[in-house]
Amino acid sequence: MKVLIVEDEAKTADYLRQGLTEQGYNVELAVDGIDGQHLALQQHFDVIVLDAMLPGKDGFAVLRALREFKNTPVLMLTARDGTQDRVKGLQEGADDYLVKPFSFNELVARIQAITRRGNVQESTQLRVGDLLVDLISRRVLRAGQRIDLTAKEFALLALLCRRQGEILSKTVIAELVWDMNFDSNTNVVEVAIKRLRAKMDQPFGVSLLHTIRGMGYVLESRE
Amino acid sequence: MCWKAVNRTADFKSTIALRLALLFAVLALIAFALITLVLNVVMARELQRHEYEQIESRRQDMRYMLQHARPPGIALRAREKIEALTPTDGHAMYWLWSEDPDFRYGQELTTVLGATVGKAGMIELDIDGRHIHALREELVASAARPAVTLVVGVDTRPFARTAHSFRVASVLIALIGVLLVSALGYWVARVGLAPLVRLSRAIREIGPHNRAQRLTLPALPSELAQLGASFNAALDRLELAYQQLATFNDDVAHELRTPLGNLIGQTQVALTRERGVEEMRELLQSNLEELERLRQIVADMLFLARADQGERASRLQAVSLAQEVQKTAEFMDILFDEAGLTVQVQGDAVASIESALFRRALTNLFQNAMQYARAGTCITIDIRSDATHAYVAISNAGEAIAPEHIARIFDRFYRVDSSRTHQPASAGHGLGLAIVKAVASMHQGSVFARSEAGTTTVGLAVALSQGVGLAS
Repeated sequence: MKVLIVEDEAKTADYLRQGLTEQGYNVELAVDGIDGQHLALQQHFDVIVLDAMLPGKDGFAVLRALREFKNTPVLMLTARDGTQDRVKGLQEGADDYLVKPFSFNELVARIQAITRRGNVQESTQLRVGDLLVDLISRRVLRAGQRIDLTAKEFALLALLCRRQGEILSKTVIAELVWDMNFDSNTNVVEVAIKRLRAKMDQPFGVSLLHTIRGMGYVLESRE
Repeated sequence: MCWKAVNRTADFKSTIALRLALLFAVLALIAFALITLVLNVVMARELQRHEYEQIESRRQDMRYMLQHARPPGIALRAREKIEALTPTDGHAMYWLWSEDPDFRYGQELTTVLGATVGKAGMIELDIDGRHIHALREELVASAARPAVTLVVGVDTRPFARTAHSFRVASVLIALIGVLLVSALGYWVARVGLAPLVRLSRAIREIGPHNRAQRLTLPALPSELAQLGASFNAALDRLELAYQQLATFNDDVAHELRTPLGNLIGQTQVALTRERGVEEMRELLQSNLEELERLRQIVADMLFLARADQGERASRLQAVSLAQEVQKTAEFMDILFDEAGLTVQVQGDAVASIESALFRRALTNLFQNAMQYARAGTCITIDIRSDATHAYVAISNAGEAIAPEHIARIFDRFYRVDSSRTHQPASAGHGLGLAIVKAVASMHQGSVFARSEAGTTTVGLAVALSQGVGLAS
């Protein structure tokens, strides 16, 4: 997967490059709008991470120029979360946007979401270690043993299974499981994870559901 | 600088005092012009009448003499009478004509007779360069004398001179009057406006360094007292906002200082020694938590700032508020369960809202209610509406909150109980209810809170449809 990052702030550009490279992306970097536009038009990228405020040519202008020729997915980064910027970005043809400061995980999740879009062939049975989740019959088995979950607990586990190995922030979980589309400041997700763990992890000795402090939760087999 | 100040006062005058003076001048001009005109017309009439009377009385004198005189020597006596009656300046003139040459008298007699023949009433004549008004009368023949034509005239020059002098004098008086009234008007306006000048000077003296200073109202005339009172009230509100902002800045600084202190401190401690990977990971994770806290505070503050700048909710949809409450309660169900609380929703209303904002407000209200609810009780949500707004009131049973706290719970960083400062993340950063207030104002609504008899109710109102006037 080739990613183009157009970002003028050196520290931000650096950690984005390092982080995404470590995630297995092939990263190109442009430090101003003119270079960014040139690269975006000359080469093929699977996704472009585009800062809105750039020297030379701002992100919106780059996006407009790009959209005349190409449909490469674009994730805009904006420093202001005024609705104006958001609406503008999406109108100009951005596929998604993130407001600075954003969490790196969130960025990776969004990149995955916009590159995955349209080519998802989801299986109905998900497996993580000795955990088996059947999305059709809504049954959960661990080590062959049936686990009873509430509807929300099931939705939460299904989400973690579908995105296994991926760190999901509390905000993302609240949004995808409860449709709560905002930073909620509550510890609902923590408590829900705690309860889920009590049912599907603790009785079996080996943990599959891990907490990544300050970032979120990940479901994976670490054996 | 000096020029600027002078210019400013000149501007002030040209706006009110000069305007008033000009207005007075125009009014005076109109009034004096009318008076002068009327006086002149009256004067002209009077002069005309006086002139006529003068001629008429002279004619009657002569006629009487000619009709009643006994012969002999009527012609001679008539001539003597005319000469006696003719004033020395010659402004009154007589002409006599008859078949009998004895009864002929006057200069330019033929011209006068020719010019007056066949005319009745006042006749205008120009003789010897003099303008004359005259009356002509034919006296029929009697036993004593033949038929005689009598013409009596007066020179109009003295009358014209009088009329002219009067005109000149009246116009001059009028002009002087106008000037006087304008000058007095300007002076009166300046004196009348003096309190305004004082007021503006007093206002100019108020600045950031003496915010507490107010205008002294008793010194102001009643018309300005109201303005002064409004101005003072505006200053009070600004002062309050200023103070709140100052306190707010303190609070923000304080709120940010704690996580920043932790970050700096623990990072420095970690860097003073060689540490293992695991230890470093611990540190970074701890740092991340603090940073997350900072991010959250900054995000909330930006949100509040946007609401302060008057941002309105967008992406509005008319939805059932009861459903929104249900959904949010469902989200927080686990927490209610942990706290041993139940939830009950009563009533419903349909309003145009931005769902994400509204749910965010509800989440914060629920959190507040949970914080004060006694375990095992029920949190009730009451939804009702009037003509313009929908009201969502969330009540919990528990210890009452004192009135002085209730009044301020929507303030930023305000905590009822300072010992609760170090609550778990669920307590937020003391911005929860401030955000509720912001959400309400973004929906053209308001917030309310009351606490009595073991029940605390906190809620928000939102306009049923946006574009409706603000309730409070």
